[in-house]
Amino acid sequence: MSNAQLEIQVIASLVAIACAIPGTFLVLRKMAMISDAISHSILPGIVIGFFITQDLNSPLLILLAAITGIITVVLVEYIQKTGLVKEDTAIGLVFPVLFSIGVIMIAKNANDVHLDVDAVLLGELAFTPFDRLIISGADVGPKSMWIIGSILIITIGLLIAFFKELKVSTFDAGLSASLGFSPAVIHYGLMTVSSVTTVGAFDAVGAILVVALIIAPAATAYLLTNNLKRMLLYAICFGVFSAISGYWLAHVLDASISGSITTMLGLLFFMVYLFAPNKGVIAVMYREKQQRTEVSLLTFLLHLKNHTEESERHVNHLNEHINWQKVRSKTVLDLALKNNMIQFDKNIVSLTEKGDEFTSKAIDYIITNKDAQIEHMKDDFFLFRG
Amino acid sequence: MEQKIAVKVDDLTVAYNYKPVLWDIDLEIPEGVLMAIVGPNGAGKSTLIKSILGILKPIAGSVSIYDKPYDKQRSLVAYVPQKGSVDWDFPTTALDVVMMGTYGSLGWIKRPGQKEKKAALEALEKVGMLPFKNRQISQLSGGQQQRIFLARALVQNASIYFMDEPFQGVDATTEIAIINILKELRKAGKTVIVVHHDLQTVPEYFDWVTFLNVKKIATGPVKDIFNDDNLTKTYGINYKVSIQE
Repeated sequence: MSNAQLEIQVIASLVAIACAIPGTFLVLRKMAMISDAISHSILPGIVIGFFITQDLNSPLLILLAAITGIITVVLVEYIQKTGLVKEDTAIGLVFPVLFSIGVIMIAKNANDVHLDVDAVLLGELAFTPFDRLIISGADVGPKSMWIIGSILIITIGLLIAFFKELKVSTFDAGLSASLGFSPAVIHYGLMTVSSVTTVGAFDAVGAILVVALIIAPAATAYLLTNNLKRMLLYAICFGVFSAISGYWLAHVLDASISGSITTMLGLLFFMVYLFAPNKGVIAVMYREKQQRTEVSLLTFLLHLKNHTEESERHVNHLNEHINWQKVRSKTVLDLALKNNMIQFDKNIVSLTEKGDEFTSKAIDYIITNKDAQIEHMKDDFFLFRG
Repeated sequence: MEQKIAVKVDDLTVAYNYKPVLWDIDLEIPEGVLMAIVGPNGAGKSTLIKSILGILKPIAGSVSIYDKPYDKQRSLVAYVPQKGSVDWDFPTTALDVVMMGTYGSLGWIKRPGQKEKKAALEALEKVGMLPFKNRQISQLSGGQQQRIFLARALVQNASIYFMDEPFQGVDATTEIAIINILKELRKAGKTVIVVHHDLQTVPEYFDWVTFLNVKKIATGPVKDIFNDDNLTKTYGINYKVSIQE
């Protein structure tokens, strides 16, 4: 692995981490689409900044672009507040306008300078190692590594300092306001960080694909944990994993690095979406199937409890009587036997003591809907987990 | 003895998009009452609470908590928002939500520590939710979620409690548990203000009541003013109280 290859991967990973942190909060605030808006509408900021500085990595350019990002958020909120259109419409109205202003500015003025729409939209990670930062004659590494590194350090600092405030205002803005943590201040703080990160990252993955690095890792992490800190950590890991594996995918396919990184993000989300232990599609399907069986089990047990006469409890009779398919009857019988809830006596089924107690409790719960007594049942049966 | 005024509202007018939802409200809530705010849907009950707490900015009027503006008196006030106002799929546990009640006293940046955790566990104990402390909040029933919110207010150890429909969507057991805690708070000299929907239970649960429908209709002790006349004025239809005293 060459030095340049290593540097590209380091930059991609730093971008991924810097995006995952604000991304987690944006996803939880159901504001993921605002990152899409910001990523587009910073274009005029970048173009104006570039005209002034003639340097795509200048801090002034980042500042100007970040301000455009904030203007986007303010405009969206202003239009939304009029009550005439909904938030998604407001977003859709604002960013194409700002974006197209940027496109026109590039077309009119930047023909003879080194700035084209492709570079801004898609980024070119492969070129980042060529633009070096030279301090008093010494080469200290690629410029973009220093830029995104500085942004990341500030982001992490802010996250650690204001974690509690971010959490409470994201979960419950009303409480946050009443406690004196202004949700507006935190909101605009988060928006500023998102804007700055987006600008810092556009060089690496492009202004469009940065959205994927903001949203996808957080959305993936959300499916795997019920703990905010862990969600942040997972999002960061997914981001870095996609950045590095995406780089090598691009290497193998000889394709765009940013495109490959985004493809990895999509694949990763899809795998987790299918296989996540609790919220994944397969887990949910399994749970629903189990619940159906458990309802059948309870119906069956209740039938046994209500009928003392032997004719009602004969194995063959049960098949006809409760009117189930053979397979289902077998599943239910097996489950009941496995849990020692029924016993056989010459093809006559009866409840065991445990089965009898379980049935009473379950029925009692379903009728009274009292939670406390069935805590231990929740561990064994999906049916009672709500 | 002259009773102290816990909350004073003067000429309060609040508007959403220039349409007033509260008109010129004057209200004095004495210390130590358990008060219901009643009124039809859209009467501005939640808006009144949110304006007192500075969550909404009024277009006119002022609010004071023990003779000082709310900003100066935050530590004296606890707030229980409507259960439906938050996303219960948020990745956090019951204990963590209750801990949020301690954030106000910590101020910016400072993190909660062992002391705050201990207070949160005690509050969970009080509402009977200690066994569920590590449960993810989406795995709790509606009644349990409401208890968690109540515990979060208790942990603030405030003098005045504002609650927005704490009985909404809870089962009878939880309702009784909650009202018992509210009565305990009153016994301890706290002032409790509750947005309430069920008129039947007003005389049983509360000792003070405010009728609200965009304007203030009446406020005072339940035994003096909870009558057909005020109910009719508030709800617009000819109202008959079918409640045995």
